[in-house]
Amino acid sequence: MAIPTRFATPSMAAPPSSAEKDRTVQQTDMDALVSRCSAIQTGYLTDPYAEMFLDISTPRDKRYPLINRGTYIRTTALDQIVESFLSRPFPGRKQIISLGAGSDTRFFRLAADKSLKLLYHEFDFPQVTSRKITAIQKNRELAAIISEFGQADSLQDSTSVPGFRVDARTGSLSSPCYYIHPIDLRTLKPGVPLPAGIDATLPTLFISECCLIYLSPNEADDIFRWITNSFGQASESTSNGVGIVLYEPIGGDDSFGKVMIRNLSQRGIVLRTLQRYSTLERQKERMKVLGFSTGMGACDVNFIHDEWIDSKEKERIDGLELLDEREEWVLLAKHYCIAWGWVERHATSGPADNLSFQNWSQFPLQRV
Amino acid sequence: MSDLDRAIEQLRQCRPIPELQVREICFKAREILIEEANVQIVDAPVTICGDIHGQFHDLMELFRVGGDCPDTNYLFMGDFVDRGFYSLESFLLLLCLKVRYPDRITLIRGNHESRQITTVYGFYDECIRKYGSANVWRYCCDVFDYLALGALVIGAGSSVQPTRLADGEDAETKVREAEDEVEIEVIGLGGVVTRQMSRRDAGMINSTNLTPSALPHLSSSGPAGALLTGVPGTGASGNSRGIANSNTPTNTGGAVLCVHGGLSPLIDSVDKIRLLDRKQEVPHDGAMCDLLWSDPEEIDGWGLSPRGAGFLFGADIVKQFNHLNNLTLIARAHQLVMEGFKEMFDSSIVTVWSAPNYCYRCGNVAAILELGEDNSNAVLRSGGEEVLFNRENTRRLASTYMGGSMKRGGPGRRYRVFEAAAQDSRGMPSKKPMPYYFL
Repeated sequence: MAIPTRFATPSMAAPPSSAEKDRTVQQTDMDALVSRCSAIQTGYLTDPYAEMFLDISTPRDKRYPLINRGTYIRTTALDQIVESFLSRPFPGRKQIISLGAGSDTRFFRLAADKSLKLLYHEFDFPQVTSRKITAIQKNRELAAIISEFGQADSLQDSTSVPGFRVDARTGSLSSPCYYIHPIDLRTLKPGVPLPAGIDATLPTLFISECCLIYLSPNEADDIFRWITNSFGQASESTSNGVGIVLYEPIGGDDSFGKVMIRNLSQRGIVLRTLQRYSTLERQKERMKVLGFSTGMGACDVNFIHDEWIDSKEKERIDGLELLDEREEWVLLAKHYCIAWGWVERHATSGPADNLSFQNWSQFPLQRV
Repeated sequence: MSDLDRAIEQLRQCRPIPELQVREICFKAREILIEEANVQIVDAPVTICGDIHGQFHDLMELFRVGGDCPDTNYLFMGDFVDRGFYSLESFLLLLCLKVRYPDRITLIRGNHESRQITTVYGFYDECIRKYGSANVWRYCCDVFDYLALGALVIGAGSSVQPTRLADGEDAETKVREAEDEVEIEVIGLGGVVTRQMSRRDAGMINSTNLTPSALPHLSSSGPAGALLTGVPGTGASGNSRGIANSNTPTNTGGAVLCVHGGLSPLIDSVDKIRLLDRKQEVPHDGAMCDLLWSDPEEIDGWGLSPRGAGFLFGADIVKQFNHLNNLTLIARAHQLVMEGFKEMFDSSIVTVWSAPNYCYRCGNVAAILELGEDNSNAVLRSGGEEVLFNRENTRRLASTYMGGSMKRGGPGRRYRVFEAAAQDSRGMPSKKPMPYYFL
């Protein structure tokens, strides 16, 4: 029997379901993790935890030097932004909320400093959080870090028990200082209540690494509004601000960008907000319009490589491996940006040096 | 049909040949290459190509645009392997052509023709994947050690024969002054003549019209066939006027040095390149390394290279080197240029890049450079190398052109620009490219 022509060619196959699309986006996390491990292996980054989240079955590919360098700059730039937020003196705890955190290890790296007063949350798809929690449960070192971090505080508070609780069914983890929330980011809109454990009165930093760009522009904007609505009011009364830092692609209009869009779409990955936020100017405008209006900045990764990394460190990086991809590096690096914005008001009574985001205005800025 | 012709046919289909045959061909190639000088002398006309990087289908596109070997005389400036998916097929095809037509194709060494680099950038892995062992990689690396370090093109004409426009109208009539010879012609995508410049025009070029407004394959603007006044990436300027006078030796295009990367602070003459012992793995430093790794840059003198090997060199270095060695142009590859080619330093050096949409990611076009034959008065050509590198002659030329400030016209140059082959082109096997992005 002849095969009906409508089944004959792959191009006639049904378009991917939304579940399949979600899975593709979730898999980008593993991709980034393998890159992180490659950069660690080569000596760019120090992070003993990344490998603990890598499945035995996942091939540990060694990436090209320019990819290692990009992974390094991305991580280092975010580290600098986070460090600037955390290092400002503040009498109480600060809060970090990582959107689409995936297998990111930032919490574990920060937790090495046991004196840090920090409440850390991660949001991601339940499929992703379950995988992460399984890895944590299998690894004593990771579990111990969560149990021990912030214990100095919880000892004074006799009601809280050291350790952490896991709900395997929903894919959630909670401890006094670290939460993993199984949340589909598309459900976050103005009016949606804050997930359990989040304290809207604390100075709070949101992080999105290649995450919001996969949402529709309206969904991504709604998350911004949800944040500035939920925390903005608190910040007015208590002077504890809220900020956000993004790492994502920009510049889809040139030939490199067009090829990027085409190549990624062949893998089922669509950069949905790229067009709306395609330039550094638009990224800054986005911050301002959506409520992070006290201050904002945006730099491309090439600029950050050239201007944010001190010469001694750059020398170290240059010595790790030959980079025979200089022009390609510049091209690639100009298509990714770090953008940040914050809203923080002076309290009428409190001291001005309690402003957690004050130093964010001191990063070298790129002239556009 | 000989075994060699059969191998060429098979490789043209992008199908690897058996390991034993690779061994045999590599052995034969080595016998040919061992006889070549560090700086091979190549007669114009010749078509000069830059990096290929295993982009086999684009190499086929290059041959379609530039003509087949042996009909066209080719000079490839290295970096045949790494990055692309078909390093093996690309390099072996070029090598087979070298063995089959040794006088019609010249291969010089790029920095990727090295054991160390190929283990990082893909060729080693590709050989293991395709043959199950490192044998073929080893045979190829042994050939790499014998590749020439550079080439010297002699007998190039000072102008190119203008290409007729597609509508049958002679392009010459569209040149600013019809009687002028065409120094630079650019054939854009689809074989359309996009620019023609006479020496007079070249002298009037300023830096404001050097940058192409957009990449032709991605822009809808720009009338096809229109003759614009600037050449993308061309720094052509200076007083080439009067030098095109047919009674001076410069009415030939002069000699063109081809090298993969660039110059070395340890090398002040072409003769010094000839003295190197090249039959070895590319060293981490020294003259041989520099020739394969260095880049021209807008600096004075020499600078450290961010690549970690080789140097950066400025216009003064190039002009002095060209002057002392009686060169009119250095052609090199090694750096991605979005427009396919880029002339720098008053057209004393050009980068030619022949891997379109490099790494299936960069979105660039590619180019090849055609140097025509000198049809007028072959003063230099008849003497060949001896005349060119005769100290007397160099001194005489130097005094004629006022020492260091001497400016000469370059050879007539035709750039053919092309873009990446369609992914499913000609039914050849083609892996779906999965270039890496940060996700």
